[in-house]
Amino acid sequence: MKSPIPDYMAPALRRQGLDVSKLIYAIHTDMDLSGGSADVYCALSADTLYILTGREAVVKTKGARRLVALYEPEKMESYPLADLGEPGYEKLLTTGRLFFEKDGGAASVLLFSLGFVAQVERLTKVIKNIREGKEPLFEVALEDEPFCPKCGGRYPEPDRKICPKCLDKRGITRRLLGFFRDYRRKVLVILLVMMAGTVFSVLSPYLGSKVLIDEVLTEGGKYYGAVARTVLLILLVRAIGVGLNVLYQFVLAKTVPWIIFDIKLKIFEAMQRLSVGFYTSKRTGALMNRVTRDAMNLYWFFVDGLPYLVVNVFSLTGVITLICLLNLRLAIAVIIIMPLSILLFRLLWGIFRRFHHRFWVYGSQLNSMVSDSVNGSRVIKAFAQEDEESGRFAAVSGKLTDVDIKANNVAFTAFPLIYLFMFLGQIIVTAYGGVMVINGEITAGTLLTFIAYLSMLYGPLEFMSWVSNWWARCVDSAQRVFEIIDARPDVEDPDDPVILESLSGSIDVRGVWFEYDPATPVLKGLDLAVRAGEMMGIVGKTGTGKSTLANLMARLYDVTAGEILIDGANVKQLPLSMLRANVGIVSQDIYLFIGSIADNIRYARPDASFEEVILAAKAASAHEFIMNLPNAYETRVGAGGEDLSGGERQRLSIARTVIQNPKILILDEATAAMDTQTEVAIQESLNKLQKGRTTIAIAHRLSTLRDADRLAVIDDGKVVEIGTHAELCAKKGEYHKLYKIQLEGLKTINME
Amino acid sequence: METATKLTGLSEAIDLGILDPAQAEFFETPGGFTGLRLHGTEYKRVALRRAMPIAQPSSYISVADHENKEICVIRSLSDLDDENLRVVTAELDRRYYCPEVVSIKSVKDKMGYVYMELRVTGHGETFDKNCAVKDVNKNIRLLDESSLIIFDVDGNRYIVPSLAALDKKSLKRLEPYLF
Repeated sequence: MKSPIPDYMAPALRRQGLDVSKLIYAIHTDMDLSGGSADVYCALSADTLYILTGREAVVKTKGARRLVALYEPEKMESYPLADLGEPGYEKLLTTGRLFFEKDGGAASVLLFSLGFVAQVERLTKVIKNIREGKEPLFEVALEDEPFCPKCGGRYPEPDRKICPKCLDKRGITRRLLGFFRDYRRKVLVILLVMMAGTVFSVLSPYLGSKVLIDEVLTEGGKYYGAVARTVLLILLVRAIGVGLNVLYQFVLAKTVPWIIFDIKLKIFEAMQRLSVGFYTSKRTGALMNRVTRDAMNLYWFFVDGLPYLVVNVFSLTGVITLICLLNLRLAIAVIIIMPLSILLFRLLWGIFRRFHHRFWVYGSQLNSMVSDSVNGSRVIKAFAQEDEESGRFAAVSGKLTDVDIKANNVAFTAFPLIYLFMFLGQIIVTAYGGVMVINGEITAGTLLTFIAYLSMLYGPLEFMSWVSNWWARCVDSAQRVFEIIDARPDVEDPDDPVILESLSGSIDVRGVWFEYDPATPVLKGLDLAVRAGEMMGIVGKTGTGKSTLANLMARLYDVTAGEILIDGANVKQLPLSMLRANVGIVSQDIYLFIGSIADNIRYARPDASFEEVILAAKAASAHEFIMNLPNAYETRVGAGGEDLSGGERQRLSIARTVIQNPKILILDEATAAMDTQTEVAIQESLNKLQKGRTTIAIAHRLSTLRDADRLAVIDDGKVVEIGTHAELCAKKGEYHKLYKIQLEGLKTINME
Repeated sequence: METATKLTGLSEAIDLGILDPAQAEFFETPGGFTGLRLHGTEYKRVALRRAMPIAQPSSYISVADHENKEICVIRSLSDLDDENLRVVTAELDRRYYCPEVVSIKSVKDKMGYVYMELRVTGHGETFDKNCAVKDVNKNIRLLDESSLIIFDVDGNRYIVPSLAALDKKSLKRLEPYLF
């Protein structure tokens, strides 16, 4: 078991005269009480909290090569626990503080930046345990520091002790090539054919220049006069080269689409696996870009980039070997030019990568903007903001164009310069080679072969300049693709799941804290027990955490602290498939997929019979309006389909959940967009369905909850009242206030 | 004859609850919290929150009680007298702790996270901070043409008040994210 006192802290604590063996827990934070930067060690014994404020200094010890951290505290404060009162911590915006409340007053003892909130939370828990007479470390996880031991960087996800910085050792390139693994044989065939094709292509100038001029056309040559045979041979070699090229392209065209299929499927599957939190943190435009554009970038690189890269590297090697064999001195003149070209390419590579990244960012911004304005078209028109929207679009589009122009400018200026550079190389070889021919050091055929090979070098080198651009785009896309594939969902299936044979449907929410963003808790230690088969109404003001609670019960998110038990088992221990099948949620956020109404209703249970679909629609009071549509249950809805009203969409959403037949039904403002008559009709049907089912109904309108067995009032992330309607009215608290306000409202209408 | 009906303006219909600085006395409690005495009522623990934390840090500061109920709004910090200003600023500094970036020692983009080694100043001290940033498009945000804010995965904020004041190397490291 890990020690609750970090090793590096123990010497400093000892130097302050503390008996480390008597200390129970210690943490290290980063601020003093005035908000200044400091290294603060907080150590806890059974009766005292010690807070040491000072600075850590990294020094080189005598004779030792290692650097060690020394801690010299400027001051140490001791707080006897008996005098301190009840511990608590609060998150401010970027900081937090640990305080103690006693006799109506509060004393702050520690200030820290938000990265340390988990440590302070654990310290608070230990102090509470001591005060309550429990084992001090009861339910306190002795987690490792949230830093990577290798690079010292903070783990991006504290619960996931993986440092992407140090994990990514294989490199994106190797990982990309890994996609070829399943197609090994075909890839081998492609490579062999490509290489054979390149051998024939490289042989061609040798036959056409060296052999033809020196051996066939020159008197005394080995094949003097055999022009027809030589020409035929040249033609044959060329034809075989072309034939092999066609063959590898044919095999390649049949293989690469499958590799891209694999990548797209992997991205899509990974996206399905990820939790709701991932989608809310990424813009839709950027996500769509990932699946389509990034995969296409990889496609083109695999189809055009990579094979040509192999061919060109192979022919470069072949040509260089041949020219070295022909004449080493002349070959060196050619080779000298090459490193300079490579340097130029490297420079271009960096510039292109930067431009491409910017291009991608602006491209996704533009996509998001288009999808935003399409989805929000009604609002735009209602507020007459068309011109402003066009202006916003033009601004981003302008930036995109600007980046495009800059990238093109680089390309258009850089490439002619490279060509000029290469042409200079040809001139040097021709001049130097000409002198060698005149001096009789080489034959005219050899010089012509050199010139022919030099032109063969242009192709690969020119390609390299394009491939750098391609490669830039591919690496950038691959990096984003892997980000999705590697992302681990916040909500994961348990390793060792608890399987419940059948659910009775009791729910126990214990001390649940939850926050969407650090420092802004939505639920603050919420407790709520719902009996099996009970209908629990939840009321409260907007933004008090009602829908969040519903989402946590269905485990769309995981609680930050505390636990939610269903039939006594923590939801984190239940298999997600089982949980989702048994917890049905009709949320405020209704999404209809592209397809027929029937398909949408049977979304959770595709095997449901059509009769069940009608029954569900009837239970949701949707049947009538569906039958009024010309194509009834076959009406296409979703993007581009029939435009349904808010109430109609809500009814379809209820039908979708009803058909799922869950043991626990959560209705989150499920009837808010309906008229009272429809609401009553739906409730009557739902009442019949509620038998043997636990129902959580969240509503603003208290009339919606008239059938609830009990009601819970949530305020500021906590349950502030709970009981039956009569009990809560008698209590004259928050519920009574709400009830009176709504009743007064109705009375006013009656009076008028 | 035409009679013009005057529309009620928002300011007439809604009370913004602007604090009368002459009536307010902010104070520090012995326990290190901020309190307020206003119109004969003493609030032992108030929370101060900026309505526009980035664009207008000195204006429209909401003062809420222990239960998060708004007591009043400070229209501008410049309305406060010296002592009130000192107490309010100290509380705001604690809540909105945001060190200034002096230089950027390294930036590494790995698998969707950007790791930064920053040299920052806060409360007159200069020190180094390592941070990881997720969703750079959202969390490295240009405030205007010359300043920038970085939000790390823990929720900490770091501000670059003037990009021009950064050294060339730091600026080059930050450059890919400046849009």
